[in-house]
Amino acid sequence: MRTLNKSKWGYIFVAPWIVGFAVFSVYPLWLGIKMSFMNYNLVAPQAMKFIGFGNWINSLEDISFWKSLLNILYNQAIFITLTFFIALLVAYLLFKISNGNRFWNAFFRSAYFVPTITSVVVVMLVLGNITAPYGPIQTLLVKWHILSVPIVWNLTPILIMPVIAVITSWMSFGMQAIILLGGLGTVPPEYTEAARIDGAKERTIFWKIIFPLLRPQIVFIMVMNAIGGLQMFTQVYVNFGTTGGPDQAGMTPVLYIYGEGLGKFQMGFASALGFVLSGIIIIATIITLKLLQEKS
Amino acid sequence: MLKQERTERRRAYIFLSIGLVFTLYPFALMIMSSLMTPSQLLNNPSMIIPMPITLSGYTGLFKDLNVLLLFKNTLIIAGSVTLLNLFFDSLAAFALAKLKFPGRNALFGFMLFTLMIPGVLFFIPEYTMLYNWGWVNHYRALIIPSFVQFYSIFLMKQFMEQIPDDVIEAARIDGASDPLIYARIILPMSIPILATIAIMTFMGAWNDFFGPLLYLRSPSLWTVQLGLQMFSSSIPGQNIQVLWAGEVVITLPILIVFLFLQKYFIQAFTNVSFK
Repeated sequence: MRTLNKSKWGYIFVAPWIVGFAVFSVYPLWLGIKMSFMNYNLVAPQAMKFIGFGNWINSLEDISFWKSLLNILYNQAIFITLTFFIALLVAYLLFKISNGNRFWNAFFRSAYFVPTITSVVVVMLVLGNITAPYGPIQTLLVKWHILSVPIVWNLTPILIMPVIAVITSWMSFGMQAIILLGGLGTVPPEYTEAARIDGAKERTIFWKIIFPLLRPQIVFIMVMNAIGGLQMFTQVYVNFGTTGGPDQAGMTPVLYIYGEGLGKFQMGFASALGFVLSGIIIIATIITLKLLQEKS
Repeated sequence: MLKQERTERRRAYIFLSIGLVFTLYPFALMIMSSLMTPSQLLNNPSMIIPMPITLSGYTGLFKDLNVLLLFKNTLIIAGSVTLLNLFFDSLAAFALAKLKFPGRNALFGFMLFTLMIPGVLFFIPEYTMLYNWGWVNHYRALIIPSFVQFYSIFLMKQFMEQIPDDVIEAARIDGASDPLIYARIILPMSIPILATIAIMTFMGAWNDFFGPLLYLRSPSLWTVQLGLQMFSSSIPGQNIQVLWAGEVVITLPILIVFLFLQKYFIQAFTNVSFK
């Protein structure tokens, strides 16, 4: 009784989180499991019917869903590589000036961070315009004879995901750079000094000494990529609505689930798809962790 | 050695300045386009300086987009979410950082684990649940489910752990209860992290598109992001400058807050890592 009284406030203070998690996560999860075995139309609930594994089998056999998964993997392969190397370069450059003038240090950090605070809707509209057939980029490319005619990328299936990857990269690299910069700050200067005295080249010092020490930040970034990137929605919705664009080349799994759930009200089927996608994301996260975490 | 450091720094400045062109050009284009007439925009989309400047994009915001209503709606949602989170997150963080109770570490471990659960797992069932509760088309569907967030609790806990225990012990000897210690000692000493969380939460809610798209049906409830997207997909060609002005105006509040508090923003992301 004494310990309970002493720890009373501790429990009271964490209670809101526990209640919130129970009501808005655990209960929906239970509801989702139930729904995934039902034929459940949101607007005609009286027709609800138990159908066993029907939704699960349908989701595993759904070609559109698997195509959307391939689309997002195509997108993420480009996005993850591009963003990471740009972020690494920017972080390195920002680190180089971190002992210099304090104003310029803060200025550059902020300037590179600004795309990160812009909303996806605004970014898609503005960069959609910049990459449009008669936008500034293609106008230049045509003028320099790199392109013979302007391309409508959002009507060209093969280009949709790469262009969206580049646009998303533009708005994300600043955040990754700041995270990596935090890691660079923890590298003991003696390590790099010693290597420099031994006559090691700058490039060797970076890849052999500094880069391995960034592991905690890299793991964080890649796990966030695996969880967040595979759930892309707004970028494609702003461009194509629920159609997924020509040939469904811009269809992502979450957009597909959204269409099945909120477009066709097939909540049981959409729930099953949600579970399948979550399973894939969790597996991707575990693989990322296994690949990147230090073996101890 | 010092001379080499200075050359390297100069080279870094040059590269960073070049990179800045790519980073900031979209913002320049956005601002300049918002000051053009539709025919100027059509004839020369990459033209940087509008001649002459027109404000019809901005006046159109009130006529075609009802931007004040969108701002009010977004402020209500983002403001409520931020205030609720500041209160409930800091309470939980205080308990996890400074109070001893059986099961504390297990609970924290479990909370960390929930960070790895993808949100899409809850998306359809949570929508179904709130639909059946009659919450669709009400602000509460966007406010109540996000009243407490583990990621913010985590960041606050890390910060509060650095508050010395002596201060808390001294207050306890003077007879202060835990709620009093929270209000009188912990909160005042946690202002920097509270500011960081406030900015991040507010920005997240302000920039959110998915939530409002799911739950807000009536145009009178729309938020800035949803309103702008709906406007862009229905826009008649002759008002294109209004869209540009809308992009500027809904980015501006976050940008201003960021410029004033950039230190806290950037701090929030410099210490994250997975061991």
